[in-house]
Amino acid sequence: MLDQAFDALKTFNWGADLNLLAPITDAVVSTHSSASARLELENRLAAVLKTEAPRDAKDFVCRKLMLVGTAASVPVLAGLLTDKDLSHMSRYALERIPAAEAGAALREALPKVSGMLKIGVISSLGARKDAEAVPALAALLAESDAAIVKAAAYALGAIHNDAAAKALAGAKPIAAAKSAVSDAHLSCAEALLAEGKKVEALIIYKSLMNAEEPKHMQMAATRGMLACAGK
Amino acid sequence: MGNYRSSRRDFIKTAGATIAAPYIITSNALGNDTVAPASDRIVMGGIGIGNMGRGDQGAFLGRGDVQYVAVCDVRTGARNESKGKVDGHYKNTDCKAYNDFRELLARTDIDAVHVATPDHWHAIMVIEACRSGKDVYCQKPETRTLREGPLMINAARRYGRVVSGGSQRVLEDYRGIVNQCWGGELGPVKSINVNVGPLSQLCNLPEEATPPDIDWDLWLGPAPWAPYNGNRCSGNFSTNGNSWRSYVDYSGGGMTDWGAHHFGGATFAVDVRELQPTDVVYSEEGGVWVSLKYPNGIEITHNKPGMQNLQVVGTPGEKRESKPVPAYKGQGGIYGDFIDCVKTREKPFRDIEFGVNTIAVSHLAAIAYELKRSCKWDSVKQAFVGDEEANRLCDRVRREPWQL
Repeated sequence: MLDQAFDALKTFNWGADLNLLAPITDAVVSTHSSASARLELENRLAAVLKTEAPRDAKDFVCRKLMLVGTAASVPVLAGLLTDKDLSHMSRYALERIPAAEAGAALREALPKVSGMLKIGVISSLGARKDAEAVPALAALLAESDAAIVKAAAYALGAIHNDAAAKALAGAKPIAAAKSAVSDAHLSCAEALLAEGKKVEALIIYKSLMNAEEPKHMQMAATRGMLACAGK
Repeated sequence: MGNYRSSRRDFIKTAGATIAAPYIITSNALGNDTVAPASDRIVMGGIGIGNMGRGDQGAFLGRGDVQYVAVCDVRTGARNESKGKVDGHYKNTDCKAYNDFRELLARTDIDAVHVATPDHWHAIMVIEACRSGKDVYCQKPETRTLREGPLMINAARRYGRVVSGGSQRVLEDYRGIVNQCWGGELGPVKSINVNVGPLSQLCNLPEEATPPDIDWDLWLGPAPWAPYNGNRCSGNFSTNGNSWRSYVDYSGGGMTDWGAHHFGGATFAVDVRELQPTDVVYSEEGGVWVSLKYPNGIEITHNKPGMQNLQVVGTPGEKRESKPVPAYKGQGGIYGDFIDCVKTREKPFRDIEFGVNTIAVSHLAAIAYELKRSCKWDSVKQAFVGDEEANRLCDRVRREPWQL
C-alpha cells in the first residue's frame, strides 16, 4: 500500500483522490516509535522532492516532512528555498524542524533570495527565534524596501534577545517601517521586563515616549514604564 | 480610541473662533434619543463581509452609538453589496470599500473593526489591528493554531486594546447548564463532555477558472498556494467538503468552528475559562475520544462514548457555594458588550484570552487525534512536554509575505 502511495505521488495533482496518499499519512503515525522505519519514510519523502513530480505532490511531501523531517531532509528542502513556487512549502517543513541544520539552511538562503521569498525566509528565522540570525536581520533594518524592514523588525522582536534589542535601538528605518521597529522594540522590552531587567526595559520604553510615535504606541510605552515601576 | 474622536471634539470646541464660513450641523451629527452625537459614536469598519460578517455588520450598523464608515472584502461583489448596505442605512455614499485590509487599518479615524474572514486570517488581522490602535471584535474561532493565541493576547494587552471573540452562543445557548453549575445545584463539578466535529482535512479540489471578482492571492493570504475552486473558498457553514470550513489550511473544521461554541459553553459552565488543559489523553476505549484534564482537577471530555453534548458529571449531595454568573455589559448581546467595553475600556465577556483558551482545547484535542497518542501540555511555556513532534503542530508556517 505504501509503495502504491509513493507511485501515486509521481503524478499527483490537484483534483486527484487524496485517499491514494492515505498510507503515507498512516505511516507518519505508525513509524513514530521506530527510528529506522521513520528514517526510511523520511528518505523516501525527501527523494520525491528531487524528482519531476508535480507541485501538488511536492506540497504534500513538505507537509509530511514538517512532522517527520530531520537534519537528513534539510539539504533537499534548502534547495527549494529559492524556488518561487516551492519556497513556502520548503519553509513549511524547515521552520518546524528543530534540527540546527534547518536554521543554518534558512540563514544561508537569506542573501540568495529577494522580494517576497526573502520576507518568507526572514519570518521563518523569527518564528524559530534564531539568535544566530540577528546580525543578518539587523543589517536588513537599513534597507529601503519597507516590507523587508518590517519583516526583519518583527523577526527581531520575535527573537527578542539582547542583541536584537540593541539592533532595534540603533536602527534608523525608513518612515514606512518605523511602527514595526517600535513594535519589535516593545517585544524586547517585555522580554527584558520578564527577566527582571527593569532598567534595560525602561530605557526602551522611554525611547518610545516621544511625540513622533502614534498615541497607542505612547500608551504602550507608558504602560510598560508603569510595569517597570511595579504598577 | 483612535484620534478621530478627540480631534473632532477639539474641532467643535474651537470651531466658532476659527471658522468664518457657514457650518451646517446635521440632525444626525447632533444625535437624538436613539442616536449618539457624532462625537460620541464609535467609528467602525468591517473586514470579511461574508455569511458571518454580514450578521456582525448588521448588528453594529443598527446601533446608534456606532458610526460605520468602511468595509473590506477580497470579493468585489461582497464588498460592493456591504458598502451599499451601509450607504443605504446612512442615506449617503460615505462608506469606503477596500480590497486590502491594511488600507482600512491604516485609517486613523477608525476606532474599532470587526473581523469575520476565514479563520486562517484571524490572528494576522487582530494583531495588525491592535498595532494600528484599533479595538477588535473577531469572529470565532479566534485562532487557527496554538502559537497564534498568546501573540494575539499580547498584542491586545500591549496596546491596551479591547479584543472580543465572537461566540454569542456561550452565554445565550447554554444558560441552563451554566446556571446549574454556577448555582451549585450539581455540587462540585468533576467533568463535562462535548460532542463536536469533524476535524478538517487536506483539500485537493481540482482547479477551476478564477472568477474575475475575487483577489485569489489575498483570499489565500498566509495559507499555502492552491488553485481556485469554488468549494475551497465557499463560506457556507458545512464542514463536509464544500466550504473553507472543511479544510485544514483555513479552518480546524467543526472541531474549532462549532467547538468554539460548545467548548466555550463547557469551559464557562465548569469555570475554567482562565486556564488551559495540561493532560490530553487519547483513548480508543469504546470509540475514539479524548480527555482533557485541567490542573484544578476538572476534566473536559470530547466525544466520550455514551455521553451527551454538555453533559456534566457533578457530585450530587455535596454542597457547593453558588456564585453570580458573569453577564454581558451594555445593551445588545455580545455586540453591545463589545461596544460598551470599547467605551469603558473594561474586558468584554469573551475577552480574547477566554477565546484563545477555549480554542486551545480544540487544538490540543485535534493534535492528539492526529498523532493518535496522549500528550502533556505546559500552558505557561505553551509547549508540549517531551514531545517534539507534537510541538511541530503548534503552528502552521505562513506563506510570504505574511508573518505574526
